[in-house]
Amino acid sequence: MQIDQVEQLSQWLVATDIAVLELRGPGVQIRLRHDGARVEQIEEVAPAAVETMSAQVPRLVAAASSVGVFLHSHPLNDAPLARPGASVRAGQALGLLQIGALLLPVTATKDATVIGALVADGEAVGFGTPLVELEPLDEAL
Amino acid sequence: MIEILSASALATVQDLGRIGALQWGVGTSGAMDPLALAAGNLLLGNDEGAAAIEVPVFPFDVRFTGDCAFALTGADCAARLDGTPLLPWWTHRARAGQTLQLGLPQPGHWRASRAYLCVAGGIDVPEVLGSRSTQLRGAFGGHEGRALRQGDRLGTVALGHEQVATGFGLVPPALALPLQVDGVAAMRVLPAAEYALFTDTSQQVFWREEWKITAQSDRYGYRLAGTPLEPKAAIEMRSHGIVPGVIQVPSGGQPIVQMRDAQPSGGYPKIGTVIEADLWRLGQAPIGSRIRFIETSWEEAVAALEQSRRWLAEARRLVNLQRG
Repeated sequence: MQIDQVEQLSQWLVATDIAVLELRGPGVQIRLRHDGARVEQIEEVAPAAVETMSAQVPRLVAAASSVGVFLHSHPLNDAPLARPGASVRAGQALGLLQIGALLLPVTATKDATVIGALVADGEAVGFGTPLVELEPLDEAL
Repeated sequence: MIEILSASALATVQDLGRIGALQWGVGTSGAMDPLALAAGNLLLGNDEGAAAIEVPVFPFDVRFTGDCAFALTGADCAARLDGTPLLPWWTHRARAGQTLQLGLPQPGHWRASRAYLCVAGGIDVPEVLGSRSTQLRGAFGGHEGRALRQGDRLGTVALGHEQVATGFGLVPPALALPLQVDGVAAMRVLPAAEYALFTDTSQQVFWREEWKITAQSDRYGYRLAGTPLEPKAAIEMRSHGIVPGVIQVPSGGQPIVQMRDAQPSGGYPKIGTVIEADLWRLGQAPIGSRIRFIETSWEEAVAALEQSRRWLAEARRLVNLQRG
């Protein structure tokens, strides 16, 4: 991430009530703390994380489309919708988000292989929380 | 349009029932699990009482002869659309020519026996006495007054709008409103008119012991097996009006619970009545499974019905938010 981008983020953060901003992307991870007066970067990119993120195969993440409770399987059974190593098709449900009585799918955006769930079964998640990590099929070839 | 592919299915077209026809001696009919039928319909934006296909015997296969939005509720039957697994209690979209296969009910967190296939708009069969339900005894209503057969083609009621949103589902009410005693599915029961005529021992047995649902159980009634229930003295009665849920005890002492296709009158003594709010639980209890009865009061029975209505209202609110 470029220094000027960090500064831009910091400026935006000053105008908000957000206390901590964490941003993750391929090969980069940044955490900014906002104490009400100023913004500072509080953590450098962990070396191990860099290694993972910069691996040759680009990884895909299915994220929460809503606030809800993340479920690995349908409430009627215990079979996980996406086991690590399983091939999934674009649009296939990898897990479910429960909002009261309503269930929404967490779907794969493209054909992929499941790497694994990033959030435990039954955990409450926010909008945009990365839920399932995938390896796109086309780019893996 | 839907074409039935299965040879002998015992599947029928059902809505929420022919309510108000008992005065003419016409039974109620309607879905054995009205909560599942209503949930499937609200997932599609239908009226809760739109007609659907009730499937009690598996496997059951249909072909969609036109593009169609549909919902599956009731028993989780490991459904597949052209081989692709489908989630239970969910709305899906089919293209013309695709085949839907319902397999055996899955032994999951809810043992159920009947699946509901709801379609956008509802199944289009003529209304008879205010209902589209199949009246098997009278051979009217539903599709030609009979169970569906291979080759039957069913139309759907035309939608007033273009597209129905799909791709979401509901947590089954069996999980949200569970009712069990010692791990066995239970139903709340009101003591009926002849309850006091049974021996004290039989009254205790009725509440404390398990009842097995025998193979002689269907949409007309469930014959139960357990310790025989004995009256204090022989009971002779004239035939009188009965409703689904009434538990009769014929001379052998093995109870019969009247279900949706029950005839509207009977002459056996009645020990109790399964409350309306719990009839769906019994309607889904598989043959061979065991059930328990819980003594309840009129007030609790009314409150239980209100609880079901609240569940449906909340489900409808969330689904409508999702449908936008």
